[in-house]
Amino acid sequence: MDMRAYAFGLVVLGFGFPAAAASAGPPMAPAATPPAASALASLPAHWLDDQGRPLDLRSLADRRLVMTMAYATCHRICPMTIHHLEALQQELDVAGEQATFVVVGFDPDSDDPAAWHQYRQDRGLNRPNWLFLTAHDAAQVRQFADRLGFEFWRYDEHVMHDERVVVLAPGGALQLSAGPGHVLHASDLSTGT
Amino acid sequence: MHAPKRLSFAFGLALAAAGMAQAAPAPSASQRIDSLEQRLAQSQKLIEQLGAEVHALQAQIAQQAAARPAAAAAAEPAPPAAADQSERLASVEHQVEQITASSNSAHGEDRGLPLHGFADVGVGNHNPLTPANKGAAVGSVDFYLAPQLGEHTRGLVELNFEVGEDGGVGVDLERTQLGYQFGNTGTLWLGRFHTPYGYWNTAFHHGMQIATSLRRPRFLAFEDQGGILPAHSTGVWFTGNQRTGAGKLGYDLYVTNAQAIDGGVLDMRQAGNADGQVTVGGRLSFQPSSLDSLQVGVSALSGRIEDAIDPANDTRLNVFALHADWDSDALEALAEVYFFRDEALPGGGSHSSTAGYLQLGYRAGRYTPYARYERTALDQADGYFAAQLSGASYHREALGLRYDIDLKSALKLELAQTHNTDGTLARPDGSYGDALLQYAVRF
Repeated sequence: MDMRAYAFGLVVLGFGFPAAAASAGPPMAPAATPPAASALASLPAHWLDDQGRPLDLRSLADRRLVMTMAYATCHRICPMTIHHLEALQQELDVAGEQATFVVVGFDPDSDDPAAWHQYRQDRGLNRPNWLFLTAHDAAQVRQFADRLGFEFWRYDEHVMHDERVVVLAPGGALQLSAGPGHVLHASDLSTGT
Repeated sequence: MHAPKRLSFAFGLALAAAGMAQAAPAPSASQRIDSLEQRLAQSQKLIEQLGAEVHALQAQIAQQAAARPAAAAAAEPAPPAAADQSERLASVEHQVEQITASSNSAHGEDRGLPLHGFADVGVGNHNPLTPANKGAAVGSVDFYLAPQLGEHTRGLVELNFEVGEDGGVGVDLERTQLGYQFGNTGTLWLGRFHTPYGYWNTAFHHGMQIATSLRRPRFLAFEDQGGILPAHSTGVWFTGNQRTGAGKLGYDLYVTNAQAIDGGVLDMRQAGNADGQVTVGGRLSFQPSSLDSLQVGVSALSGRIEDAIDPANDTRLNVFALHADWDSDALEALAEVYFFRDEALPGGGSHSSTAGYLQLGYRAGRYTPYARYERTALDQADGYFAAQLSGASYHREALGLRYDIDLKSALKLELAQTHNTDGTLARPDGSYGDALLQYAVRF
């Protein structure tokens, strides 16, 4: 078959498929909420912030926490997640509501405090209510992820992971967990759905 | 591609089936899991009770501290009751941590071995790797295992099923490496691994879903797919990185079995070689703190490459490479250049060749358009290139588009023009165009 015909056919297929996929089916529903009680208490407590200072997660128990996981060299999923959280921050500002945004690193070896510090500087994420945390070891990362339903696996220096945001209410109870395709809005935090 | 081996295929299927069976618990393991889940639930209940006790004690301490005048609190020693409560609090916290660690350990032991991997299929006017073939093609199915073997021991196995030029399915243990992690200094690996030169060969392995482009630069392809460098090596490899004030410094050093050219294809001699020859090499990379999207590096390797068909055509392969990578949220720019200064053995002349590519990609939401230019100028008097089916010079221009359907799958379209500039039997002079589509997933 003539190469030009092949190319035309592939272009139609390649561009038509995403358009069809985008128009087909409802958006993905949020994941089922795991057991609610004492979510914060079940998490590993001791972390390092992006200044290298120890941070006890339990000290945030009186706040609404919007939590996600990311790694600094992720340039596909994580920028999208951070962008969604920035939009949520803006909505909360308009509504006069407060929350603490907590980003936990998948890779404590690569995403050390210095890396996170550079990350937030590069992206202008310098508000004091945004925390970027480094675990002490990989086991702590795994424990955190398992407790809150984050799925990930390491492929060499890459981290294969989903997009998830978890909200803990003041007091530490799990309020909601939003999986891929579910973008959180300030109204979701108010209603808890 | 190694000649398709039915026995290897059957063995590979058996291995995959065994792996699948391991992932699904047998009936007796199911009972054990039920029992462990009950114990875990009991442990979690106890943790919650202890946690409540900790909160209550903290509240008590806070109340007592608030009731006592501040100056008097600074001057007086802590009353016995508060000191006793602090000790109780510390003891309770310690018990909670122990139970949590024990619970996690039990859970971790019964996690099983997660099986992940990648797969890709495609269609086009040519097969992406073998232009003589046209139409739809199965790319590969890649299984990846990285078991947690202990505090210091690491393991990695990558088993790949790929379809060869003749349609047969070959099975390769693409990577099988066991390593010992020396804290923050690095990891010492033993086994078969991706040779650490340049950028691409260790940044992107066998999972096409993670790479922006539809295929690797041709000269960096795997040995059985047209590559001219030993993408895999079997030996010892030390790798690590250190963060300095200026940035992150990465280092690699390896000693491996010297490769050979057998049947026109590089062979990494993963069962050892007859003469004990080795290939040595290393790489340094640097990522500045002030520009953490940038990584630059240098690589070198040297080894005696045997020509399995013509011993008089052995070569001392000497390669020096430079790479630069810019990877930010919006822009991906990759560039590598390789300088060859090979020596014909024994006592022959030397030959110089070069190979390189430049790839640019722009991330716009789910879409990432990219462009790539590849070029090699390979001295055909160099026995190392003359002995390889893929040792001819070429240049290629490609335009592509990646679309992320979702977090785990991508569609890629590539239009390319390839010009072979050295006449060989496998790749006669001439040009051909590609129109290729690939569906790549991870799981």
